[in-house]
Amino acid sequence: MTKLNVFDIQGFVARGYNLPKASFLLAEIVDPGNGRHFVRRVAEQVTTAERWEQGKKPLSTLNIAFTWQGFVKLGLPDATLISFPVEFCQGMRQRSHILGDVGKNDPQHWDPVWQEDRVHVWLAVNAQNPDELAKRTAEVCRLMEETGGARLLGTQPASAVYIDGQPTPKEHFGFTDGFGNPDFEGVERNTIPGQGKLTADGKWAPLATGEFILGYPDESQELPACPVPYLLGINGTYMAFRKLHQNVASFRRYLEEKGKAYAGGKEKLAAKFAGRWRDGTPVELSPDKPDPALVKDPQRNTNFTYGNDMAGVRCPLGGHIRRMNPRDAFGFNGALVNRRRIMRRGMPYGEYTPEDQPARDEDDHGVVFMALGASLFRQFEFVQQQWTEYGNDAHLGNDKDPLVGRHEPGLDKHIVQGTADPGNAPFVCGSLPQFVEVRGGGYFFLPSLTALRLIGDGSVDPR
Amino acid sequence: MPNQSGNVYGLTILSPILDDPTIRISHDTALRIYLEKLPRHEDGPFAKVSATHLCRLVVMDDVVFVGAPAKQEHLQSKYLVFTSNFYGDLDAYLADMAAKIPDVVNDIWSHCVGYPGVRDPKAFAAYMKNCQIETTFFFAAVNDKTVEQTLRALQTKVEFAAFVEENQGRPPAELQAAFSTFWHRLEQLPPLRAGARELTRIRVAGVSGNAP
Repeated sequence: MTKLNVFDIQGFVARGYNLPKASFLLAEIVDPGNGRHFVRRVAEQVTTAERWEQGKKPLSTLNIAFTWQGFVKLGLPDATLISFPVEFCQGMRQRSHILGDVGKNDPQHWDPVWQEDRVHVWLAVNAQNPDELAKRTAEVCRLMEETGGARLLGTQPASAVYIDGQPTPKEHFGFTDGFGNPDFEGVERNTIPGQGKLTADGKWAPLATGEFILGYPDESQELPACPVPYLLGINGTYMAFRKLHQNVASFRRYLEEKGKAYAGGKEKLAAKFAGRWRDGTPVELSPDKPDPALVKDPQRNTNFTYGNDMAGVRCPLGGHIRRMNPRDAFGFNGALVNRRRIMRRGMPYGEYTPEDQPARDEDDHGVVFMALGASLFRQFEFVQQQWTEYGNDAHLGNDKDPLVGRHEPGLDKHIVQGTADPGNAPFVCGSLPQFVEVRGGGYFFLPSLTALRLIGDGSVDPR
Repeated sequence: MPNQSGNVYGLTILSPILDDPTIRISHDTALRIYLEKLPRHEDGPFAKVSATHLCRLVVMDDVVFVGAPAKQEHLQSKYLVFTSNFYGDLDAYLADMAAKIPDVVNDIWSHCVGYPGVRDPKAFAAYMKNCQIETTFFFAAVNDKTVEQTLRALQTKVEFAAFVEENQGRPPAELQAAFSTFWHRLEQLPPLRAGARELTRIRVAGVSGNAP
C-alpha cells in the first residue's frame, strides 16, 4: 500500500475540500527575487494534505500553483525548465488546436486576463463563509504587496450554488455534480465502489497513486515523467484550469422544446444528456425515474458499469458521464480507461437562476473546472480531444459531448438510444446549441511543500 | 496472406530513388518538392483511383541504427515508400493507377531506378510488383467495404439522423410516407467525392427538408 507524505502534498491535490466559497487569484510574478520571496512566504501558509481531526475543518485553505511562464519568471534554471512536458511549457492557449478550442472557444474570445501569458501564479483560497474568504484573500494580497513579488491580475470567484440559503452540490444546469472522483492508493478514506478501477473479477480497486501524483508508480507500473531535479516534481501534480461559461437559457429552452417531443419527457431527456438525473441518480441504475435514496447512498451512487448496456438504452453512448469516464464500455474490464482518468476540483461561479426564474445566457455564470493528473497530455487533453470533442471511441462518429462539446450551429447531434418500450423510444437531438463556452484557462503545476521551499529559496538545482 | 485482410489489400512498395550526382537538384529532393505540392483531400490524385481507402508517399533517406554500440549502417539507396490500403485485387489497382493518373505516376516514379513508365501497363505492373515487399501487418478501419460503400454509409448515416430528427414522433402513416420520400431522394443523391474532408461538406448536398 502506497503511503502518501501528507505533510508534503498540497491539500488541494489529495482531496476536495468541500468548502462552499472560493477565490482563485491570478497573479503575475513581477520580479524573480521578490517573486521567490513571495513563494517562500506563501509556502508557510499552504494547506497540506494532513488529515483534519473530526470537527477541526479549517475556516479557510490556501494553495498555490504555477504556469510554466511563472517558473520562467521565478528564475528556475533552464535545465529544469526544459525538463517539463511540452504541453505544460506551451500552456493551454497554445494547445487550442489539440483541445478543439476554436470557434466560440477560440482563445481570442477568452477573458482579457487569459489573453497573454501573464498568469503566472494561481492561488486558491477556499473558505467556509464569505468573511473567512475575504480575510484570507486579503492576507494573500498583502503578502503580494509586502514582498513586491507578485501582482494580482484578476480574481475568479467561485461558490457552491445556494438554494434556500444552503450550499448545494448543484451546478447551473440544475444537475447535482461532483460524484465519482477517482479513488487512488494512499488516500485515507474508504474506497467507494465505482470510483477506482475495475478488477478482472468485476470489483473496484483504487487506481495507482502515480496517475495523480508524481513520484509514485502509475498504472503502467512506472514512475510518471518528472522534471529535474526529481525533488521539484515528486508529491506535485499538474492541473488544467478552465473557466467554462454556461448558456443556461439555451439549455433550458432546448430541454423544454425537445422534452415535448421526447417520449420520456424533459427530465428524462436531461438525464439522457448527463447520464444522471438532475438530482444525481445514475440513469444507468435507475433508467425510469430519479431515486433519492440511491443518490444518498455512497455505496451505490457511482457503483455501476456499462457492460450490460452496450447499446446505450439506459445511459446513452454519448451521455456526458459515460464519455468522461467510460468505465468498462470499451471492454477489457476498463483497462483502456484507467490511464485517462482526471481528478476534478470544479466549482460553480456566478449567480444561480432558480428554475422558475428567467435565465439569460449572457449572465456571468458557469463552472471553474479544474482537472488534476500526472500527465496533462495523457489525461486531460486526451479526454478533451477524443471523448469530449469526438465520438469515435464510443462508436459515435464525430458526435461531440452533448453538454460540454463545442457545437457547430445546426450540425451537431446527440443520439439517445432506446428500446421498443414507448417510454424509452430512441430520439435524435439535432441542432445542438453550444451550451458551454470556454472563457479562459491555463496549465499549472502544484508543487509539493518541499518544492515550494526550493523555489522560494532559489535552490532548485538540476545537476 | 498478410497482404490482404478480407477484400482490403495492404500494399507496400519500396522503389529505389535514382542517384545522379551530375544534376543540380537531386532526385530525392525533386521528389520531396513534388510530393509536398500535390493537391490534397478530394483534389488529391488518388481520389481518382477509386479503390483507394488511404495511401501514403514517403521519401525514406536512410534508416538509423538505434542502440549501443553505435553502428554506421546505410541503405544502398534512398527509397520512395508507397503504401496503400485499397479494396480489391492488386492487378486491377495498378491498372487503374496507370489509367487514371498516368501523369502523376510518371512524375513520381520517374525519379526511381528502372521505372518503365505507364504506357505499357504490363511493364508498369511488373515493375511495381518487383518493388513490392510483403505487408506483414496493417489496419484499415473500413469493415471490408469498398470506398463507395463506405462513403455511402457515411452519407446515409448523416442524412438518416437528420431525417429522424425532423420526423420523429409523427404518426405511422405519415412517417412511412416521409420515409419513402426520403429514401427515394437518398437513392438519387450523387455519391460523395472520395477524400472529402468533413461531414459538414457532406451535409451541404443533403436531402434535409423532409419535414412537412
